[in-house]
Amino acid sequence: MTFELGPRAPSPWGWRSPRAPVPTAAFRCEAAVNNIDLDRFGRPRVVVTGMGAVTPHGIGLAAAWAGVTEGRSAIGGITRFDPTGFPVRFGAEAGDPDLEDDRGWSIPESVAHLAFDLKGRLAVTAAREALAMAGLPRLGARAGVCLGSEAARPSLADVARRLADSEPPDAATLARMRPDAPTRLLAALVGATGPRSTVSTACTSSSQAVGEGVLRLRRGEVDAMVVGGVDVLVDPIMVTGFSLLGALSTRNDDPQAASRPFDADRDGFVLGEGAGMLVLETMASARARGANVLGEIDGFGCSCNAYRITDSPPDGRGAAQSMSAALADAGLNPEDVDYINAHGTSTLMNDASETRGIHKAFGSHGGVVRVSSTKSMTGHLVAACGAVEAIYSLLACRDGVMPPTANLDRPDPECNLAHVSRTAERQKVRRAMTNAFGFGGSNGTLVVSALA
Amino acid sequence: MNQRVAVTGLGVVSPLGLTPQALAEGLAAGRSALSASPALGVLADDRAGRVDKIPVRPWLKRRKDRKLMARASELALAAAGPALAGFEGDRTELGVFLAVGREPPDDGESEAALAAASRDGKLDADRLAGPGRDRYPPLLPLKTLPNMALAHVSIHLDVMGENGAWAGEVGAGQRAIVAGVRAVAERRCPAALVGGADSLVDLGSARDRLRLGAKGPPGEGAAMLLLEPLEQALASGRRVLAVVEVGSGESDGEGLLPQITAAMGALGAASVPLELAAHIAAGCASSLTLDRSDAGDVSAAISVFALSA
Repeated sequence: MTFELGPRAPSPWGWRSPRAPVPTAAFRCEAAVNNIDLDRFGRPRVVVTGMGAVTPHGIGLAAAWAGVTEGRSAIGGITRFDPTGFPVRFGAEAGDPDLEDDRGWSIPESVAHLAFDLKGRLAVTAAREALAMAGLPRLGARAGVCLGSEAARPSLADVARRLADSEPPDAATLARMRPDAPTRLLAALVGATGPRSTVSTACTSSSQAVGEGVLRLRRGEVDAMVVGGVDVLVDPIMVTGFSLLGALSTRNDDPQAASRPFDADRDGFVLGEGAGMLVLETMASARARGANVLGEIDGFGCSCNAYRITDSPPDGRGAAQSMSAALADAGLNPEDVDYINAHGTSTLMNDASETRGIHKAFGSHGGVVRVSSTKSMTGHLVAACGAVEAIYSLLACRDGVMPPTANLDRPDPECNLAHVSRTAERQKVRRAMTNAFGFGGSNGTLVVSALA
Repeated sequence: MNQRVAVTGLGVVSPLGLTPQALAEGLAAGRSALSASPALGVLADDRAGRVDKIPVRPWLKRRKDRKLMARASELALAAAGPALAGFEGDRTELGVFLAVGREPPDDGESEAALAAASRDGKLDADRLAGPGRDRYPPLLPLKTLPNMALAHVSIHLDVMGENGAWAGEVGAGQRAIVAGVRAVAERRCPAALVGGADSLVDLGSARDRLRLGAKGPPGEGAAMLLLEPLEQALASGRRVLAVVEVGSGESDGEGLLPQITAAMGALGAASVPLELAAHIAAGCASSLTLDRSDAGDVSAAISVFALSA
């Protein structure tokens, strides 16, 4: 066994230290050659056998993927409430799916109240699509659910009721507002009685939820995990709050041009909503049941910025650390990644900070690896963005198509990357990376690939 | 492959006391920290386990940042500071794994804005966009995100490594600690802060609990444990307060939770971390195994015991 120096060194489960060696390609191949079920470090490989999404482009994976590969913006005027008088009057609303189409996955009576709101309906719909694609039977003790989710926001009516009579909402409404409500709902839906957890790290939530699923599968705790995220943000209180923060684009006269990551004229992000769900299994489990393997999660990394609540560090240090950790976890070098689905929110600070982070983590390859942000078309799905963008990244690998950054008319010199701008490009994508960076400074990165 | 994990730092902020020792002694003496809370005066039972002065100031980089912190964030940082105080290692890869409860209340900051946005007892979107907006604290959305406790610990203590914030009730505390123990045992990070913080003593949270059928008064608190590989801790001469393992097993009876709840009220996501901290601070005379996950988990029981055991 020989070793060469690399950027970071994984232990069998992660990294050992920034200066320790990375195994050479010869060593890495050994495990894979000997056992297709294990990765280059001898860990169980984690594959994707089902994916489902509800995004502002529509209900279902096909609509989601067609929307971003056609370079089409799904951002428009707010219809869910009358936004007249609000500083921001547009967003990226998701459709409201019909739960009648149960695809064989009906909602148990015990949790039916958790599916009464849009958040629950989005989560169930995306999960049903993923489960149908995976062709899994009803799950059991060897399966778990891990979702990224925030607390649901009370409706205006609920807030008003509270102000008027100081009575709390009814128990069912309170149960729906808990961050873990979608997790409990999906666990009951799929019959998973294994690990169940809810990650709440703002925009990083579902990236870390996917990561937690990967870790549990590698440890052999479970054979399958339903992972993903859901968020619904286009409501009056969120629009008020985030616009007061100065975080939202105010391009009310041209909503479709409002989200423009990496562009010199960007002025903030666009609130969006949606859900993305993935069924993860060990390769051994997927092969044993003859499942159609859609792709692989090669690596996961995360970090904190330790900088400020509202700002990203100008030097991109936390982002770089997260990306380097994911590369190390996958046992890859920067040159092994062909495409990055960036966090790319369209805020001045995030995009510049992420650019520096990419250059720091990728070195000379930072100017070569292709980069785009699908938020230019979907808006910011916050707790759901990590999972939805992981799905886009897997599809980019599968189809050899990189979706573009829409509205990138005049790239900011501070964002000097090899952009895929305005129209999708065809290119073999061996591996893709996807970033998610949250308010407060939590970062998560996944490295994915299509199965060779 | 996996390393044994030592607890080398401990921080507690609780209604019974602001140190691990004060918590353990208070519990041993059967003391109650429940008292009438003016904020809960409209409820039939106005008692709460409240921390009067959260000692967060020594750990703040910038004093003005306190304006951004909900009580749960203050509790988390005030517990994390002492837990990490003796740690001299590199914090770049130090992990932080927290249980964060359901969502920090905004401590009434939104009420003025929402009242201004109401007309005839109803919230009016037009007024929310006008007079309501003018009174809305701009940073409020960030203050009330569940992961803000994690963010403040990271920012003020320069912790940059692997992280996670788990939302939920008692089980979230178990999940955060298990995640941190595994991260250290599997060498994904060289050391980690694990624990939880929760505050349920505001009127809104107290009412919500009652509506959900919860019994007993609400409380608040936080506990943080610093975990390091046992070998590393011994080699560097660190004081090992306890050894912690994750494995299959059932809880040893009821543990300390009934005493903790009776003395300080319901502590939500901070319950399990405080329970472990109290046991460790009392000297770990016996091993303690806890499984308080509110959902099936695999091999997730936490055991703590003294090094000599």
